[in-house]
Amino acid sequence: MTTLDSRVSSRPIPNPQKSLITKLNAGTGLIVGLIFALGTYYLLNNHSSDDATVNFQHYNRTLFASMIMWSVGFMLGIGAFIGPWRWLIGKDLSAEEQLYMAGDGQGIKRYFKYCTDHKVVGIQYLWGVIVLLGVGGTMAMMIRTNLAMPGGHFITASVYNSLVGLHGITMIIAMIIVATGPFGNFIMPIMIGAADMAFPRLNALSWWVLFTAIPVLCSAWFLGGIPTGWTAYAPLSIQAGPGMNSFLATIVIFAVSTAVAGANITATVVAMRAKGMSWNRVPIFVVGATISVALAIPAFPTFMLAMIQTVLDRTFGTTFFDANFGGSGWLYAHLFWIMGHPEVYVILIPGVAVLMEIVPVFVRKPLFSYTAAIVGFAGIAGLSVLVWAHHMYMSGWMPMLNGPFMVTTEMISIPTGLIFLVILGTLWKGKPWLKMPMLCVYAFLWNMLVGGITGIYLSDVPADNYLHGSMYVTAHFHYTLMGSALTGAVAGLVYWFPKMTGRMFNERASYAAFWLIQIGFQVLYLGMFTAGAEGQPRRVVDYADTFHVSNMVSTAGAYAVGLGFIILLWGVIHSWRHGKNAPMNPWGAKSLEWTVPYPVPLVNFDTPPVVTSDPYGYGKAVK
Amino acid sequence: MSDHNAPDLNPTPGERFTHFLKRKDVLETLGWAVFYTAGFVVLGGKFYTKWMPAMMSTDMRSIERLMVIFTWIGAPVCGFVLSIATYTFRHGTRGDTPPEDGPAIRTNKLSIALFGVASSILALVAILYGLVELNSASAAAAKDAPNAMVVEVTGSQWVWSFNYPAQGVTSNELMLPINKPVIFKIVSEDVNHSFWPVQLGVKADANRLQTTEVQTTPDRLGAIDVKCAELCGLYHAYMETNGAVLSTTDFNNWVTAQGGHQA
Repeated sequence: MTTLDSRVSSRPIPNPQKSLITKLNAGTGLIVGLIFALGTYYLLNNHSSDDATVNFQHYNRTLFASMIMWSVGFMLGIGAFIGPWRWLIGKDLSAEEQLYMAGDGQGIKRYFKYCTDHKVVGIQYLWGVIVLLGVGGTMAMMIRTNLAMPGGHFITASVYNSLVGLHGITMIIAMIIVATGPFGNFIMPIMIGAADMAFPRLNALSWWVLFTAIPVLCSAWFLGGIPTGWTAYAPLSIQAGPGMNSFLATIVIFAVSTAVAGANITATVVAMRAKGMSWNRVPIFVVGATISVALAIPAFPTFMLAMIQTVLDRTFGTTFFDANFGGSGWLYAHLFWIMGHPEVYVILIPGVAVLMEIVPVFVRKPLFSYTAAIVGFAGIAGLSVLVWAHHMYMSGWMPMLNGPFMVTTEMISIPTGLIFLVILGTLWKGKPWLKMPMLCVYAFLWNMLVGGITGIYLSDVPADNYLHGSMYVTAHFHYTLMGSALTGAVAGLVYWFPKMTGRMFNERASYAAFWLIQIGFQVLYLGMFTAGAEGQPRRVVDYADTFHVSNMVSTAGAYAVGLGFIILLWGVIHSWRHGKNAPMNPWGAKSLEWTVPYPVPLVNFDTPPVVTSDPYGYGKAVK
Repeated sequence: MSDHNAPDLNPTPGERFTHFLKRKDVLETLGWAVFYTAGFVVLGGKFYTKWMPAMMSTDMRSIERLMVIFTWIGAPVCGFVLSIATYTFRHGTRGDTPPEDGPAIRTNKLSIALFGVASSILALVAILYGLVELNSASAAAAKDAPNAMVVEVTGSQWVWSFNYPAQGVTSNELMLPINKPVIFKIVSEDVNHSFWPVQLGVKADANRLQTTEVQTTPDRLGAIDVKCAELCGLYHAYMETNGAVLSTTDFNNWVTAQGGHQA
């Protein structure tokens, strides 16, 4: 651990100007990235043929390669490859260079550099999430505005379809990182008493690779959008226009980022826990985040694989998914959902784990049955890899397997029940401190209840005959992903805000945002459940007059949710700049992150902590 | 060892249970549980019967019944979760100082066991009920198949077309005779579509070069909305058409008017 030892010292860097590292930042990354992208485009885009198919393939090849090269160029320009290059020539970064890379004493500039400090990466992820949620949320408002009235006059069908797809993928990416990004990077290493992540440079890599995906995704707008929804089913994705390349490249880049982050978080939790933190003393958020990323490690490569096959079909004329030449759209659907169903639990579990971390603190009772919580998470994760084909009941792929997939899917309700039991058991006999994070726990209980029970209808084959592909599905998964996972992440934001920014979150803003979001949310999705029950398909730009009332109600609720999130954003910015200074442990919590001051020292702890119990030692002895 | 003559110190399980039921918090929670369970039983049943469209086949009726019964299966779960939530929320602490510590209950084997058994039984009931319905639907379909009418459904961007091979009719409207089993053979000319005659309660994807089959028996006269339930590109929202379940005479007249012949 020479790296860490050297960082403890606060010696000035002898000659920082000498190192290339000091000259690189996001600006140089941008320049090199653009040079790479434009260079690739210029070099490849010189092909003209009489055959439209050949031209189509060649143009896609050019665009896709340019996007990937942008990412590579950016990473080169920001200095991501300096360390590996040194290894290649048999050296490594000097201690001073490593200290510089950790951003020690560089103020706000370090947020724009290839900074290895996990706390910097956590804040970078936080803003990344805010930007993505903002973009995705704006698209959601446009979708709902268009659906307020039948006729779909507000936007055209082509723009609408793109909105649906880009809203979907933006939110999926945002939600995958919403808890494990900011809190998994900033808070989790402190929670387990580590000085940093196991692989600090990979940590920086995971964030900046993700960052490069954002402009790629946005470029879809300027290339004609995507017509496929976020599921990008083939063969629709094969015939789609050039905007599709943005989608495909985004997923490929994002999959690299999640693989790196997942390996890093797992390694950190396995190898870097403080002395005395045995597995039964690990905070439940850390357990949840680890199970989530561990689940992502096998899931995302199949997504990436499916995307690369789509790219090959589009650019080199392979026919993996083209039934005209022996391929199969079902193959794509399988690859997609083998990622897609575990992925919803990759999103859900960390959000729930945040809430489980919060409940004991605000109820002043130990977490009820830590074992049940872990069995619940592990059970969900284990079963989640066996349920994917419930998305394909109606596909015609193999109707005789619908029954078995129905059984595995409905079995997930049993470990999910344990999650409820843990939270309810912790609440029982307690007098909860009704601060905003605690209110989120209550909102979660209701939202997850609705999401879970409607999930049973959808998992049932006969009922799914009616509900599949309808607005009912959309309402259901928003209850689980937004109502449950995002609520958990918002609770975590307010809860950990004092540790991440040194300020208390503005209370009024937090309550106003909470009630607007949650009440608006119920109205929004009650309307959508109703539209689904009435028989409105999802992803439609227009609908029959019979669905008007449900949709108008839904849109009204959506505006309340939108306003609530604007207030929440105002709360973040205002509290960050002008909020009350936070004490070291404002909530009286017992986990390790509350034992360090703000600003958190570079290596977190002056002396490595020794853990003697789990962080839930609240409560009077039971008579 | 405790004194045998002091039942308060060493109550039997029965006494403990009676004592538990007399506790104020338990009584209030039980009250809420009954309230929520009853509420979900009543409202849950009404929601689907109110909002779902006309039921024009056994399949559709079975779907609505499933939704209602699943809501009832879910009702005690709602009662359990919401009662504890409501009770603790009502007795929560406001203000800027954290409340006093509660009792340090770390686990309770009995409640975990009871909850585990209860939730497993509910899940099992839902699974078995679903499997029974699935099986009875396919058994009925197998029985009806020999005298079924075939309709070849073709989805293409963004039109449905229906071919009645036995009648020699092709149409863009889905006309069906009442009480006659019908097998839809569904295929796509381009991308994935999903054939959804809403009031009939069946749905199946249209795939390129792969025929999917789905069977039902319309048993009520009336209009049918045919929609596409799989995003299929630009005009997905408009890929819908009308249809109707007609009396046998009307259907035969329609076939004749379309230039077809009686099967």
